[in-house]
Amino acid sequence: MKCSDAARLMHDYLDQELPRDQCKLLQLHLRECPQCEARFRALERTDALVHAMPAVSVPDDLASRIMKSLPKSHKPKAWTGWVQRHPAASAAAFFLVVMLSSFVAMWNQDDQLKLSGDVEHVVVRGHTVIIPAGQTVKGNLTIENGEAQVLGEVEGNLTVIDGNVTLASTAHIAGKVKTVDRALDWVWYKVTSWFDTVAYGS
Amino acid sequence: MKPIETRLARLARKGDQRAFAEIVDLYKDKLFHLAYRMMNNRQEAEDVVQESFLRVYKHLDRYDENQKFSTWIYRIATNLCIDRLRKRRPVYSLDAESSDHEGLDGYAMLPSDDRTPESELLLSETQRIIHEAIETLPVKYKSVMVLRYLQDMSLQEISDVLDMPVTTVKTRVHRGREFLRKKLEHKL
Repeated sequence: MKCSDAARLMHDYLDQELPRDQCKLLQLHLRECPQCEARFRALERTDALVHAMPAVSVPDDLASRIMKSLPKSHKPKAWTGWVQRHPAASAAAFFLVVMLSSFVAMWNQDDQLKLSGDVEHVVVRGHTVIIPAGQTVKGNLTIENGEAQVLGEVEGNLTVIDGNVTLASTAHIAGKVKTVDRALDWVWYKVTSWFDTVAYGS
Repeated sequence: MKPIETRLARLARKGDQRAFAEIVDLYKDKLFHLAYRMMNNRQEAEDVVQESFLRVYKHLDRYDENQKFSTWIYRIATNLCIDRLRKRRPVYSLDAESSDHEGLDGYAMLPSDDRTPESELLLSETQRIIHEAIETLPVKYKSVMVLRYLQDMSLQEISDVLDMPVTTVKTRVHRGREFLRKKLEHKL
């Protein structure tokens, strides 16, 4: 065995990675080679001495100083972390939430019976709006979330949203009768009426 | 069941300060020991330990639970030490010999931490000689040797911490050991 090979085996031995058979070979070489023997002793000694270095004392208040050095306002970051990792999904989710909530809000807003136009000549009973016989509604009448029972006259248009119209034989409507039932119609109606408002004022 | 550190890390990530305090208790001594051997200066060692924990705290959400927590925290601390040691280089390299030679370079010229009575009083003559020998190791051997001998890590663990192949770690341990042997041979 060459001395350079022996040196490699010595280190493997000190790393506790030398197979048994190679251990034997190294042992044989060390018996024959005083130089390698001395080197091995020195390495072994170095190994043991460095290993035996005592631990240094740690400052007593180190832990408390570490804790104090941390930023104070560390709140749970799971939510913001998710947002940071998925910017596109967060934007989409945010958009969806805003759209849904505004839509629901608009829809819920009109849960109750609402009347607009000339309301002086009508009678309201629960969700039914009655235009009694002999009465004349002067102008347009709009009913939201209610039924219209027309016995008298309407001089303008009659619009019923989410409801229906019952016309008696005595009824007379000068303008158009319009019923809006479906959501799409309702949205369309909202949009056009908004434009009407913008264009002509209410 | 995940190891205790992983569970603590999970709690700390959710904002549990007490869980983080437990992590600090588990690792502060080990990290201080590591940093002190690397920096050879108590004040700097303390700075490194503080900064390490600060980084751990800030980046808890980046901790990959598939790796050992100790590997992660040691990597942070070791990298901080290596960065600081590298930054020292320009100041002292003027008098140093070509720095890639094995043997003395800029680091050897560094003043040791003589403000603390501890290094004067507690270390026996033998221990002081070993301490100085470790101090003169070039940084790439020093980090490996400190992890190997003073933190009792296996070659595989060191390779994980330093993110280098086991064969490289092994070579550095061998060279580091030879370096120390030569240093100590004439003194002890």
